[in-house]
Amino acid sequence: MTVATDTAAVAAGDTPATPRAVQAPLGRMLWSEVTWVLRRPRTIVSLALLGLVPIVVAIGVLVADRGQARAPGSDGVFTSIAGNGLMLPVIALSVCLALLLPLVGAMSAADALAGEAAHGTLRALLIAPVSRVRLVGIKAFGVAAVVLTAATVIAVVGVVTGLVLVGSHGMVTFSGTSVSLGSALVRVLVATLWATVQVWAVAAVALAVSAFTEHPLVVMAVTLAGAIVFGVLSSIPSLDWLQPFLLTEGWPSILDVLRDPMPTTGLLDGVWRAGCYLLIGLSVTLARVVTKDG
Amino acid sequence: MNRRRTALAAAAAGTVAGVVGLGVLAMPAGAGPAPSLPPTSPEQLVQSVLTAKPTAMNGTVQVVNKLGLPALPGLPQAADGTTEARVWTDGQRRGRLSLPQNNGEKVYVDDGSTLWQWDSTTRTVTRSPQHAEPAKPKDKHEGVLPNATDPASAAQQMLATVEKTSTVSVDGTDWVAGRPVYDLVLTPKPTERTLLREVRVAADSETRIPVRLSVFANGSSDPALQVGFTQLTIGPQDPKLFRFTPPPGATVRNSDEQPQGDHEKAGQSSRPTVVGDGWDSVLIGRLPAQAQPGTSRPVTSRPGTSNDRHGRSSEDPMALVQRFGTPTSGPWGSGWLFSTKVGTALVTSDGRVAVGAVPAQVLTEAIGQAK
Repeated sequence: MTVATDTAAVAAGDTPATPRAVQAPLGRMLWSEVTWVLRRPRTIVSLALLGLVPIVVAIGVLVADRGQARAPGSDGVFTSIAGNGLMLPVIALSVCLALLLPLVGAMSAADALAGEAAHGTLRALLIAPVSRVRLVGIKAFGVAAVVLTAATVIAVVGVVTGLVLVGSHGMVTFSGTSVSLGSALVRVLVATLWATVQVWAVAAVALAVSAFTEHPLVVMAVTLAGAIVFGVLSSIPSLDWLQPFLLTEGWPSILDVLRDPMPTTGLLDGVWRAGCYLLIGLSVTLARVVTKDG
Repeated sequence: MNRRRTALAAAAAGTVAGVVGLGVLAMPAGAGPAPSLPPTSPEQLVQSVLTAKPTAMNGTVQVVNKLGLPALPGLPQAADGTTEARVWTDGQRRGRLSLPQNNGEKVYVDDGSTLWQWDSTTRTVTRSPQHAEPAKPKDKHEGVLPNATDPASAAQQMLATVEKTSTVSVDGTDWVAGRPVYDLVLTPKPTERTLLREVRVAADSETRIPVRLSVFANGSSDPALQVGFTQLTIGPQDPKLFRFTPPPGATVRNSDEQPQGDHEKAGQSSRPTVVGDGWDSVLIGRLPAQAQPGTSRPVTSRPGTSNDRHGRSSEDPMALVQRFGTPTSGPWGSGWLFSTKVGTALVTSDGRVAVGAVPAQVLTEAIGQAK
């Protein structure tokens, strides 16, 4: 096997017909990938649908708030939004983080390598005069850009909807303290970036799967199955030693940005855990793409 | 060719680093060799804990509950699991306690003259002007303090009482929340009929604040109940934390407008009596007045009947008792028995309650004596 891949690599990378000098600048390649990925109709549609989430939540809360007197402690987190619009973006992010944002990440990761393979265009990329490390880097950048855009869309639509539909004078945190508008926006920013990093971790693993298959559907299925399996595993009490390894385990701590003073332990743990998944996913992707036959 | 090998090596290293990183995250904190501290005797340790000055600090307290209680409606914290609380205190009378929940937070702020309670899910603020006791672990010890004014003799008195029924020792050192601690161990004497194996109190080596309490039951190496800091910072706190202003849009109530809650605690009925001493002492009392027959609803003396599901059956103590207890009877009467790893409780059909860290037999003996 090594012999076969070695000869393939010789054929692909080290032929004298591909001089290094013609490589395009990295910035331009990244930019072209990002614009190409973000201009896809499916990306635009999914971003638009994600933007609907905060609006739907806001309308739901408004209707429920007008409809009846609140029963104490009955509907949990959503009651906090009433009259407290700047909570909306964070809560919308936490709702989307459960499944929708990982799906967007997985979709984009599936297109990045498996999709190209399905169309037969990956072959062209592999034999192009671009180092494969750089290819992985550019593809990962494209996926990361989609995820960041998705989270930003939710946050921005959430902030605007919260301020317009629900109304707000600063933010009342879970802890009962009032924080100013600026401080509340910083918290929304933290939540957005945190959610983005978590979904990057999912997308990195999806990208690794994507490198192994040429069916984008497999990537989606694996990601979805992974999310469900993680959820099941974390709910089995005898497997509680496994919980620190599960990426999804730390996701409820996104709501920590709504507490005052903000507890950082859960958020930082989440970032570290996501970083580990990110590293593993990207490394496996790199290993697979580097050893792929042209 | 070379670049490919480098890339592969980097990928392998990256994967390994990621897996190792996950492992490090999963490792329990504080696992390491025990800190070396100057040796101390139980007397010295108890004395220093009793004289410890409350300091300004903040921390996260974790309660690991493996008592084996059923999940009671309205009191999910009683069931097995882990609960966390964040505490702040300025070392004087002011303090703040926050109980984070999945969908909100309960906050208690004691600003020195008023106790504020905030519940984010109902957005209500409750104001109690009287000075309620802040819920902090070390306050338990203030109540235990004997009358002696001199801490050294107080420690001796206390130890003398405790040593009648238990063995007290300092069992080395440990880490709690990253701080070196002394571990004080209380073990019942073999003559004590108790379900407990030992009780450990960890005292911070520097400030001598008790920072962890572990209760071990017989036949288990894990603590049945552990209350301890997972994170502790000693130092001055932001005074803003000890003030509370009701946020806009919140319902503010005074505690005397609250029909329940305080009364439930105050009406803890005719003073309970203690039967026995040491580890096998049994506390015998009566159910709070609200649960008594006639006040809330008639409770029949026969077990298992009239479980009215409509209405407030989940708030009615007697209905809960009948639902979760094991029916039992003896020469003392009949009632319902609750067994956990560390204790047993007996509620009789005429409203008497016996609780103790003892097997059921000791409990029924005690309730027979008290009759």
